[in-house]
Amino acid sequence: MSKVTKGWDDEEVLAALRQALRAERAVPPEFIEAGKSAFAWHNIDAELAQLTYDSTADSELELSMRAEAASIRALTFTSAHLTIELEVAQDSLLGQIIPAQPATIRIQPRGGADTALTTDEIGCFSIQPIPSSQFRMHCHTAAGVDALTGWITL
Amino acid sequence: MRDDPSVIALVARVGDGDQEAWNELVERYAPLVWSICVRYQLSRQDIDDVGQSVWLLLVEQIGKLREPAALPGWLATTTRRECLRVLRAGRRYDHEGLPPDDQMPPDPSAAMIEQEIIVAERDAALRAAFAELPQPCRDLLSMLMSDPSPAYAEISARLGMAVGSIGPTRARCLERLRRSPHLAAVIGDQAGDDIEVKEPRGEQGD
Repeated sequence: MSKVTKGWDDEEVLAALRQALRAERAVPPEFIEAGKSAFAWHNIDAELAQLTYDSTADSELELSMRAEAASIRALTFTSAHLTIELEVAQDSLLGQIIPAQPATIRIQPRGGADTALTTDEIGCFSIQPIPSSQFRMHCHTAAGVDALTGWITL
Repeated sequence: MRDDPSVIALVARVGDGDQEAWNELVERYAPLVWSICVRYQLSRQDIDDVGQSVWLLLVEQIGKLREPAALPGWLATTTRRECLRVLRAGRRYDHEGLPPDDQMPPDPSAAMIEQEIIVAERDAALRAAFAELPQPCRDLLSMLMSDPSPAYAEISARLGMAVGSIGPTRARCLERLRRSPHLAAVIGDQAGDDIEVKEPRGEQGD
């Protein structure tokens, strides 16, 4: 399988090494730092809720809608046991947990302090003001399910 | 071919909650994740999104990896899936609209991904081997690899090394690199009989 052969002469070793160091330099340091910080979640028993729908994709649909409706952006995050739906409204971020149930939501801005809120009985919540920087959400349901979204930029 | 003992040791340490080991793992494999994202022609923001997901999924699942040596393959497969997810979610097409299917970036074939894994493993082994060379060797090789490569007279002046000894030192350093146990893990049994494969760092207990 390996392309490395024992016939590697000095020139080839040097060229391969140059390529290896170049590949490393091509990766931005922030990308590596973000990877390292992911380890903070190693002892948090949360499912990853991934972005599975973003209305930005449906631009054509948006164009065909009325102006006031076109401004609504919707996002869906899905984990093994939970779905989190978000809608960007005029001055707040509206959300719901599915299946409908009460939960605690922690909003974690990148590099900022967390804020927490509680949903209503059917899992609806509202975040005000709309986060202006990148953030993620950690959802803890009354039944004990934890889900964590990736970083969200609105 | 990929059962690098240092990777197996790293995975075990990460399982024990060792942040340092995790950092090493990320440094070693970030170029693999990055290069696959580049193949999918993702925007920088989408690459960050994929990176986040891949590392979080790895944190979540590293304890369940049945075969630590299969980590590069797992990472490549997961990265590929995440790239497709990001493309499907259709982010960042805000202004142009989502391109029609035939204009979507081509899905790199499984063979290309496999090639990325091989290159990434070889690169990681080379970097690990290079990092363990004595400082004078690293200085000399770094100068020789710079572009354009400097004249021997300049190397001599910068490193305080006689011009006549640059050639032999270069050969000795490269030979040392070739014999590194890290490279033995990549080269496998093709490396020759005289190479002893041992734990590179001597940190692995039991």
